[in-house]
Parts: sequence; structure tokens; C-alpha cells
Amino acid sequence: MALILRILLILLTLCLATTHELNKEEFHEELLLKPLSDRKILSHFHFRHTLPDVTHSHHSLFPKAVFQLVQKFRVRELELSFTQGRWNYERWGGYDPLSSSNAKPPGVELWAIFDVPQHEVDASWKNLTHTLSGLFCASINFLESSTEYSAPEWGSQQSSGKLRYGALPREAVCTENLTPWLKLLPCRDKAGLAALMDRPSIYRGYYHSQRLHLTSSEFGAVGSTTGIVLDQTLTLVLQPDKETGSMYSGSSIYQPNWSMSSLFGREVGGKCVLAESSTVFVLLEGGLVSTLKNTWREKEGHEADNIVVENSWSNPNFELSIPPNKVIEEVTTLHKNPSILYEYSVEDSEASKPFDLEFRWKNPVAWSSPKAPLSASRFLTGSGNERGAIAISLESSGRKDEKPQSLGDFVEKMRVSPSEDKVSPGVMEMILRLPCAVNSAALTIDFDKGFLHIDEYPPDANQGFDIPSAIVSFPDFQTKIDFLVGNSSKKSPMISKLQESRNIQSYTEVLLVPLTTPDFSMPYNVITITCTVFALYFGSLLNALRRRVAEEERHQREIAAKKTVRFPLLFKLLAMLRGQTWEQPPSQSSTSTSLINTKIVIKVIIVAGIAAGWQYYYG
Amino acid sequence: MAELPEALNQEHPSNSDLFDPKIMRKTKPGVKRLFLTITVLLSFLAGVPFFLKSIEIYRSPIPFSEMDTLSNSIDLNPLVFPCRFHVVFVDFDFDFREVSADTLGFSVLENMRKLSSSENVCGTCGNNFSVSVTMESGGDCKETGNAVSSRLWKCERVKEGNLDEMLKDDERFDDYLNDVSGGSEEGSGKVYRVVVVRRDADIRAVVGKNRHAWIVGRLSQVDETIKMVAEVFVKIFVNGGIKDGSIHSEFMPVGADGRIVLSFNLLNADPRDWIYDWNFQEMEESLLAPIIRTLAPLANISIESQVLYHTPKSSFAYWDKEKESYIFSTKDLPFFVNSNEWHLDTSIAAGGRSKILQFVVYVPSANECPLLLQLPNGEISMTNGFISPMWGSVIVWNPSRCTRDSGSFHHRNKIPQQDLEKVFEVFLGQLRQLFGLNSGNLYHDASSTFTLLSTGKGFTEWELDFLSRQHTCYNLLQCGTTLGSLSRLVQSLPRMIIKDEIGKQVKFSLEAAKLARGNASHGISDASAVSSREARILAEDAFFHPSMMSVSYYSFEHCFAVYSPFFLPVSMHIILAVFREFRRYKQQNAKHRAWRALDS
Repeated sequence: MALILRILLILLTLCLATTHELNKEEFHEELLLKPLSDRKILSHFHFRHTLPDVTHSHHSLFPKAVFQLVQKFRVRELELSFTQGRWNYERWGGYDPLSSSNAKPPGVELWAIFDVPQHEVDASWKNLTHTLSGLFCASINFLESSTEYSAPEWGSQQSSGKLRYGALPREAVCTENLTPWLKLLPCRDKAGLAALMDRPSIYRGYYHSQRLHLTSSEFGAVGSTTGIVLDQTLTLVLQPDKETGSMYSGSSIYQPNWSMSSLFGREVGGKCVLAESSTVFVLLEGGLVSTLKNTWREKEGHEADNIVVENSWSNPNFELSIPPNKVIEEVTTLHKNPSILYEYSVEDSEASKPFDLEFRWKNPVAWSSPKAPLSASRFLTGSGNERGAIAISLESSGRKDEKPQSLGDFVEKMRVSPSEDKVSPGVMEMILRLPCAVNSAALTIDFDKGFLHIDEYPPDANQGFDIPSAIVSFPDFQTKIDFLVGNSSKKSPMISKLQESRNIQSYTEVLLVPLTTPDFSMPYNVITITCTVFALYFGSLLNALRRRVAEEERHQREIAAKKTVRFPLLFKLLAMLRGQTWEQPPSQSSTSTSLINTKIVIKVIIVAGIAAGWQYYYG
Repeated sequence: MAELPEALNQEHPSNSDLFDPKIMRKTKPGVKRLFLTITVLLSFLAGVPFFLKSIEIYRSPIPFSEMDTLSNSIDLNPLVFPCRFHVVFVDFDFDFREVSADTLGFSVLENMRKLSSSENVCGTCGNNFSVSVTMESGGDCKETGNAVSSRLWKCERVKEGNLDEMLKDDERFDDYLNDVSGGSEEGSGKVYRVVVVRRDADIRAVVGKNRHAWIVGRLSQVDETIKMVAEVFVKIFVNGGIKDGSIHSEFMPVGADGRIVLSFNLLNADPRDWIYDWNFQEMEESLLAPIIRTLAPLANISIESQVLYHTPKSSFAYWDKEKESYIFSTKDLPFFVNSNEWHLDTSIAAGGRSKILQFVVYVPSANECPLLLQLPNGEISMTNGFISPMWGSVIVWNPSRCTRDSGSFHHRNKIPQQDLEKVFEVFLGQLRQLFGLNSGNLYHDASSTFTLLSTGKGFTEWELDFLSRQHTCYNLLQCGTTLGSLSRLVQSLPRMIIKDEIGKQVKFSLEAAKLARGNASHGISDASAVSSREARILAEDAFFHPSMMSVSYYSFEHCFAVYSPFFLPVSMHIILAVFREFRRYKQQNAKHRAWRALDS
């Protein structure tokens, strides 16, 4: 009995210990480096905060601002990304977990799922945009207007109408957005992997995407995770410096050599002491690994399967300057090439012994990244300022199965919420089912351009209007990289993220639609001309009413009689215009010509004087 | 026809010689055209009101005169609360035939008048006191009339307990006094009471947690005693124990929406040396929650906390060999707060106009540990902290041993409970200072020293009374100035659109201000604090209403530019036409008169 009791007690204490361990806030920092096929390097920073216990409002690691945001707006899931540049799906890959979760459209993209009653979702969204705009120094508050966001239904499964999506393609992204993002990290960029973020180096890259994703399950949602999980990622595509390469680096066959210090201009001087783990990964994708294996087979003449993956960090093709702590190989089916992941822990490095990984190529290698089943591109057609069309063309990337299917309808499901002027944007969601043999498909949507009210134009109306990227996702194609990791409790967030099965997703280009812009001074012109016409009409009507025809004629005769006619022809013409016959007046000696002249001169002087005085006092 | 006077000329050959067509005419001039033009002008003038009505902008009626009178009257007549004081003399051997309670009362009043400033300061009692006196000696009990009528004190009750025993323990005596007088207090409003007990001991003056004070000792001189009593009344109960007497009502740290956010921050200057965490949750429950409840009538207080890392201070500290510590002096304080690295941040949870008070615990890094604050007189500060009015406060907390955590494994230390309690007690004192109160437990003065009992709630009853008086006064001042500027602004911009909402807010704000003043004059300080806060919030809401921005969109220039192209030429035409016709009519009429004169 005593024995049983003791066992029970041990179990109990074990449970207590584990729950205590579970209730701890954690922070992980990781960096993944991956050579790309076009001589560039993908670097992907991943920072994860987990907050298992949301009942207390005091936290030692989790950022206060994000916690308050989740509490105040009852956000269940939120993703905010700031991106500069466009992900090159052709060369940098479109069929791996990294690209489908981290390739984002240019500018700002925000979506959020709220845990509030349906009628409060819009209000929550508006408040959230304002808060985020203050938090990240960006004009996210423009997403507040109901014409700027939409409520897509098929993007997320469990949203049930509480999802809101908005994008600002024109938003410029720079350091002022990065600094508040870094503020959410406990070490900011003072220590740890974030210390690599040298602003000139990271903004010099070809692609820059800074992302914040948070999920919270506190409001009674069912999910595998509890509490709040905040993922912050920064994805960069950088070109290694030319100098570090050998003399061959100029030629196109050699991949450039690179090191962390040459990429970022900085080194890691130790981990962020608050992080549970601080890891650097180097990922070689399947395509590269298979080409490498081929060359090894040629050179050393042994079978590909015999190559010991553990020692592959230094091989005939390339060499890593530091031996990795761990080499992980992907678990794959037969006909797919496994990727290899080298894991380095930054824990041991110090300020005096910085961590600087170097990657040296020994032989030229060329490979290609896996592409999405269809590559989508979107463009504008049509001419003129009245009508236009948006076309989306889907091109097969050569991945074909042998069995062509014939289908009656390509469009399986479609939901269109037409745009309402000044109220809501037009959203079209379609589920297409295309046979595998299809080579290309195109969708066109015609539209009419309308006139906006004069005060609805943006300040730079002549630049045109941006249409955010379309999202193309392939629900039947999922991607993940399964790594052979032991069931260790310390699971890296990066690896678990890579192992998560995700739909392939890609974004199309942003469109710029030129819209006829009116002459913005037009209202005043119209007012002025209308008023002038009215005034003319009114004045002449009044004059006509009080005109004394007979008296005028008599007057004229008198004047004509008085005046010596110097220009008889002119007078004749005038008389003809008036419809009178002009008779030559009896010539009279002119007496008052000099008098008239002085009168005119005096008048002119007075008018000039008044004008000068006006100028002097009011000009 | 008027136009053809010469056609009629031939009809009167008799005067034809005298008739000069240039200056005379035989017919009356016609009025048809004159009538026509004048009709047009009049119809235009009649249209003007309609036109003005059509271009009018909506302005909700705002009681400007009331707003101005409120702001003026707040400036001119500072808010003064009526205060009631009560003195109890116990075991004094007065000659009851000579000294009456009334004369004692008068002399106390006299002394208090001398001490308090001549002019009415807002938020004080002004000269609006009433003093009642009770004398107990042996079995006798004498009271002034007002004390009897309002049953301020039950004679002999104070002696029911063992007085000598009680007097040894201040806390106990304070509670005892509260019990003794507790029953009578509810009906009679707030009465500040001093109990003077004659005993054979040194003279001590103690101010309790409630609205009592007592003076015990060898009090032989009645005049001296009365002076002391008056001092307790004026300096402590009325002026809140603030030394220089001036009242910094402008520095009341309450946001415009009546909210305060207390933001507690633990800063680890360099987490590579050591990491400290704190048990904030417990502190909040045990220490901060009672204070929030106590201050509830003054402001709506919320609390938040965070721990930040990599936050070095920006001032320099030097090594002092004697003290074996790093020293920073008061001169460096303006540079201590490092606004670049300390991202204390405003709070998302709080509204835009809330006041945020930052409380910072600074844990120095290993190469500046221990870090001590040197006062200007060369001594080391006991609290090791400082306040910055309207911003908050900073306390430097040094770890017990200033050696780096060894190895790369960083353990999260907790600040020990006793240390944390000490830190929060200092914070409490700093909060009191931020509110303008004394933080020590002694009140020194040129003439006297009073012991002030402190309470676990942070603020004693009489301090809260003082604060709520101050707060009411400050709120009403703010409300008055805000409404005054709103009224000036609105009147200076005649083309500003004013929504109904603003008008309503102004109306309610005025009503609340009136209520607050009414309550204040009856001495109900809690209710007046609440309604004064409401008045201020509404006034600020009206002033900062988003629709007030619309002024720039429909300016007079705009209106003029739109309508002038029509009205300017047309009105020129009409006025000129009328003018010409009128002149012509006058001329022709003169001609006609000339002819008539000739004719007759």
C-alpha cells in the first residue's frame, strides 16, 4: 500500500513539475540560411514567444503591448507583414514551406480573426488597425475605411465570417517599421541573432519581409496550442558580397562564397540570454542535394546512398567553416530528394569568440528550386479610360501527371461580392479545378472605370490606384519537410514550423490602375462660368428693361451733330451696326477737343492713382 | 411719354418762348422704370435672408454666457469648502466658572485665522470654519452650543477605557478614538477633532489615521495649547501637511479622462550579468490593490507591469573607494532616464488622454554595482530613488552581491520578497509625493513637531479629504478654462460647424460643474470630486471632439469664392440701375417743377 502511495505521489509531483514547466514563458530565436539557385542567400529569422498562462497580466518576457492588444480586441489570430520587393517564385522556389508561408505581397498585409460577436467584428478591426498603425509607425489605419478591407470566406477554414483581410500595396517599408518590431523582442537588437540586423545590409537586399503572426486560444477556442504564441519572422534575400569569393566569383558557374559577417556586416556575439534556444540552421534543398550527390558519385565513384550525411558538411563541393552540432536529413518518399539541415547552436559563442559561419563552394553547382504547380501572373488589359480588364494567367510549371482528366466545369465554386461604390471593395473568390494536363489557363474580369466624387481622390490621384495582390492557393498540394528529429522535448519552433503541413500559396503582382483624374480646379471653373453667364443675362435683361430707345437716338443725333467727324468711315460702320442711316453732320468748328483731352488725362491719372494706392496699402 | 417731352412742346405755344427743353419739361416724369428697378432691388434684398439661410452651417446652440460666467466665477471665487473642527479638553483643571467653552472656541478660531492665509485659496477651507469645544474634567462636561446640538461628542465615553494604558500605543488610541466618536460622526458630516489630554509626560502631538489628532503631556499654558490645536487644524487638516503651503494643484497627475495608469517596469540594465524577475502579482494584490480602492473617488486607476532588458542608464556613475560603490549624484538625475533604450511605452489598454505614471525599478549591470544615489549634502539616499513630477519615479535596486552569474547558463533570479516590499513601500511614498503629499511620518515646523501615523492603505482619511478637495478644485479650474477657451474659440470662428453632441457635452459639463460647486458648498467633498471629474471629462471631450476639425473645410474665403462671381456683377448692375434711374427721376422732376413754376 505504501509503495502504491509513493508511486502515486511521484506521479503527482511529476505532473506538478510538468505543469509548472508548461506555465513558463518561453522565447526562442533562430536563423535559417539557405543558398538560392540564383546566387543569392535566403536568410530567415524566426523569433517565437510563447505565453501559456494568460490569466495573469504580468509577464517577464512576453511583450506587454501585444498582450494588451490581444486582450483588448479579442484577437484569435493575426498576421501582419511588411514587405519590400517581390518574391521570385521562379527562382527562389514556390513549393516549399518557407516560400508559401513567408513570401508576402509588397507593402503591408494584415488579416485578423476576432473572437467577438459578428456585429462587433468591423468595429474591432477598425480599432485594431489604428492601434497597429501607432505600434508599428505605418499607415495601417488606412485599412479602416470599409473600401479597403474585405471578409474573404474560403481563405481560412474556421474563421466563420470573423476574418478580415486588408492590404496596402503602396506602403513603403523601412527602419521605422523594423524598430518597433524589434522592440517586441526581449533583447531587441542588442544581443542574440537580432544583433545581425545591420540596417544598411538588410535593406540592401532583394527581398525584405517582416512578419508578425500571433495565435491565441484563450477565448475558448479549441486548438493544439494554449495561450498566446507570437511568431516574428524576418525573411531576407541577400546577395553575398563579391569580394569574399575566389577569383572565379565573377564567372557565372560558381556560386558565391559567403559568411554571416559578409552577408550582414556583423557577427553574432552570443545568444540572447533570455532565449531558451538560439540556433542557426543551414538548409540545402532537395534539388541541390541531388546534384551534389551526383557529382560525388562521379568523383568518388560510390553510391549515393552510401554517402554519410553526417560528414557532408565538408565534401568535394562545398565546405562549412564550423562543423555543425547536428545534421538532420529529411524523411522522404522514394522519388523525392531529401533536404539536409545543418544545425548550429550559438550558446557557446561569446563577444570575444563570435559565431561566424562561412560557406565555401569548391565546385560549380547549378540546380533549380521546386516550383508551384501553376505560376500565376496578373496584368491589366484594355485601353482608354473607360473600360479595362484584369487578366490572371495560370501557367503550368511543367509538373504533369500522365492521366489527363476531362472535366465539364473548371470553376467549381465561386463567390463574388461586387463592389459597392464608396462602401465596399469588390472581392471575387473562386475555386477552380483544372485537369492536370492543362498547360495554361486565363481568367479575365472586365470592369468599368467610374468617376469618384471630387473629394474622394487621394492627394496624388495621377499616380493611379493600386490593386492588392491576388492570393492563389492550392488546397490539394501541401508541403512540409519532415525531419528525422528524435522525440526530444526541446523541439525547435523553426523545425516544427517546417514540419507543419501547409497549402501551397503564392501571391500575384500588384496592379496599378490609372484612373481618369478630373481637373481639380474644375468646380471653381464651372461655378465661375455659370455665374458669369447668369450675371450677363441678368444685367442685359435689366438694361433692356430700362432702355429708352427714342431718347438714345436723339442723344446720338445731338452728339453726332456736335462732333467733328474725324473718322467718317468708322461712324458709318457704327451706324450701320446700329441699323441707322448715317447722315453727314454739318461741319462745325471744334472747340472742345483740347478740353476733352484734359478730361481724359485727368480720369486716367485718377484711376492710376487709385490703383497705385490700392497696391500700396493692400498689395 | 416721359422720353418724348419735345413732342408735347408745341401744345403750349403761349409759353413756348420761355420753355427751354434743357431745363424744363411739361409732363410729369414717368416712374415705370424706377419702379421696376426698385422692385428688382427689393426682391433681391428680400432674397438675402433665404440665401443666408441656405448657406448657413449648423451650429448647435451653446450657452456662451454661462460658460464665460463659469470660467470667470471659478477664477474669481475660488472653491472653498466649509470645515468643522472640534476640540476636546480632557482632564484640564479649568476654572469652569471663568473659562467657558465659547471663549475657548473663539480663541481657537482666532489662532486659526492668524495661521491661515488671508485670501481664499482654492480647495481649502478659506475662512469658512466652525469650531466647537468640549471640556471634560472630572465629572464635569461643558460644551459649546453647536457641539451640543449636533451631538459631536458623548461626554465621559472617552474615559470608559483605560486612558493611560491606551495612550502608550498610538495605533490603539487612534482606533479607540475612532470607536468612541464613531457613532456620532455619520450624521454630522466630517469633523476634524483634536483631543487634548493632560497627563504628566512630555508633550506629544500625534495625528491619527482618521480625522483625529491628540495632544498629550504637561500642558500648563492654555494659550500654548490652543495655539498648538490651531496649528494641527490649519497645517495638517486643512493644508494636508504640506510645508510651504503653496498648493501645486496644476500637478495633480490625473488624466483628462479621469484615469491614471500606473505602469511598473523592472529594468535589467544588462541581462548578460544577471537577470532579475519579480513577483509582481503578489505585490499587486497585497500592496497596490488597497491603494487603488482608497483612491477610487479621485481617479480610476489601473495597473500594468513589464520587465525590460538591455536598458542601460544614460548618465555616468563614478567609483567611490570609501563607500565601495558607484555613486551618481542628483546633478545626473536629468540624464538618468534613457529614453532611447527604455521603451517604457504608452499603454494600449489606456485611452488617449489617460495619465501614465511610470514606476521604474532599475537593476544596474555588474560594472556599475552597487549603484547609489548621493544627495546634495553628500549623504547617500536612503531610498535610492527619485521622482520626476508628472512622469513617475525611479528606484535603483542593487542585487545583494555584485558578482556576475558564472557560466553561460543564466538563471532567472527573483528579487527577494523583503527587498521587493521595501521597493514598493518607497514607490508608495513616491506616489504620495507625486500627489503632492508628504512622504515622511513626521511633520516638522518652526514651532512644533507632529507625529503622523501612517496607514496600510497608503493614504489616511484626512489626506484623502485634502486630496479630494484639491482634486475638485483642480478639476473645476480645468473645466472652467477648457470651457472658457472653447467658448472663445467657437465665437472667434463663426463658420465652424458645431454638432449637437458638443452642445450636449457642454450642457452636461456645466450642470456637473454646478453640482460640484453645490456639493462643495455643503461640504460633501467626495460627491463634489466625482461630479467635478465628470465636468472636466465632458468639457475636454467637447473641446477635443473630432468634428471640431471641420472648420477648415468651409471657410468664409471658400464661400466668398463660390458666390462672388454671381453676386458681385449682378448686384453692381442692380444698384447702378437703381441709382441711375433715381437720379434721372430727380432731374426730370426738377425740370417738371421748373415748368410748372413757369406755367403758373
